[in-house]
Amino acid sequence: MSTYARPSPSAFTTSASTTLFRRLTWEGTVPLEIRVDSKELPANSDRGLECYYVQAPRVSYLPLLIPDLKRFLLDVVFDEAAARTVKEEDWWFESDDGNLLKWHWPIGLLYDNYTIAASSRNPTASSSQTIVPLRLVLHLAAPPTDKLLLSPSAETCKQAFMGQMKEADFIRWGNTKRMTSLRKAEQDGLWEGIKEHNFDEYWRVASKVTPTTTPTRPTSPAPGGATSLHSRPPSVDPNTGAAPDRDGAYSVRSVPVRIYLPDGPVLQDLVPPVLEDGSPNTLANILSTQVPLLFPASASDPPFQDLAHPLIQGILAPKETDVAWLGACMAGADGWVNVCVSLLQPR
Amino acid sequence: MSLGSRPNGPPRSIPPAWTSTADLGPNMQEALDALETYKKKDPAKVVVRFKAVGNAPIMKQNLYKITASNRFQTVIQFLRKELGWKAGDPLFTYINLAFAPAPDDIVSNLYKSFATEGHLIVNYSTTAAWG
Repeated sequence: MSTYARPSPSAFTTSASTTLFRRLTWEGTVPLEIRVDSKELPANSDRGLECYYVQAPRVSYLPLLIPDLKRFLLDVVFDEAAARTVKEEDWWFESDDGNLLKWHWPIGLLYDNYTIAASSRNPTASSSQTIVPLRLVLHLAAPPTDKLLLSPSAETCKQAFMGQMKEADFIRWGNTKRMTSLRKAEQDGLWEGIKEHNFDEYWRVASKVTPTTTPTRPTSPAPGGATSLHSRPPSVDPNTGAAPDRDGAYSVRSVPVRIYLPDGPVLQDLVPPVLEDGSPNTLANILSTQVPLLFPASASDPPFQDLAHPLIQGILAPKETDVAWLGACMAGADGWVNVCVSLLQPR
Repeated sequence: MSLGSRPNGPPRSIPPAWTSTADLGPNMQEALDALETYKKKDPAKVVVRFKAVGNAPIMKQNLYKITASNRFQTVIQFLRKELGWKAGDPLFTYINLAFAPAPDDIVSNLYKSFATEGHLIVNYSTTAAWG
């Protein structure tokens, strides 16, 4: 199935389990409810219908929803006069509690962040088991350019996305050679893949810059064999005696990971894939390193038990997961593993 | 999900988190207190070194101590002021001649991830170079 001595990651030699998790991540969606600010609805609009519901891909971005949103509003809500004057360059989004939305964040991250923050503020109300859409307000004019920092156009969004890809590349290897050696058409292909929500189109290029996991040992074994040859990934036959994959997930300098606290700061630090003793770095370790007040290193350290839970792509992630594996299989389209810390367990 | 199973080890049981319903428990207050601690803005400063690229003017003083909890946007605005450039003048900023961070990235995070020899290198240019 896979060749183990390959010089660089390639779509042709990705293991089946890696592809499976990448596809699961890619196919994840979240419910959005987008309502036009009623004060801004043009005259003669069909009121009562101005709510747009969409099950949006987690890996996509708000500005990419605008074409479909515009089509809906033109078809259903606006009359002809309004349709002629509508200027989507002036459109901007707000959460329903009045906060400016970080449109350059992937939609899945926006959803998880808002849902977790809301449940932390109001723990009793969130005990219900239903899934709630992220409610957004669409404004049609007067974007607050001073606070928006960047205009939320598809083009700026693409540039922001490319910036994140390069930052991730630099985190992994200490340079951006893999990204900059892509031809312009390939770089554009990444964004087109997201725009069209086409897994193959995106990964045709992304596989050239995203490390994959291989069944070889991450490093030379510690005496006593701390890591087993059979340990990861389990669904592929291990190859005894192959050299560690130079470009593989366990060979990076650091895995691109960010930790999001509810209503709180975003934490980013170096995350080596392998620890000094040769064992793989795990989600448990980075949580107890960066957020020790919520995730103690052991049961004998205060607060003596976990006070929160890590969600990745909206699901509870087992703390023993290798961060290298997360970087290869469950990152967003921009290459970043976003760990959202929730005080409550998801449904 | 099967991650890192050991064929000869004990079977993995589903951890309680997967099966129990959402619970609040007495730990909620402790958790909320922990979050408040993390929300506090660290007054510590880190050293940022501004390096001109291409035709951009070189600053007389290019080493500055910047509050670590600031967003990168603050650094951009600070640089603009130091250069005496107006809001509309083109200014492009990069880290380590490699990538442009998001304006709401926090300086401390960038420092932890990308600083070399005790400072974070911010390149500035009048044209887009590595964007």
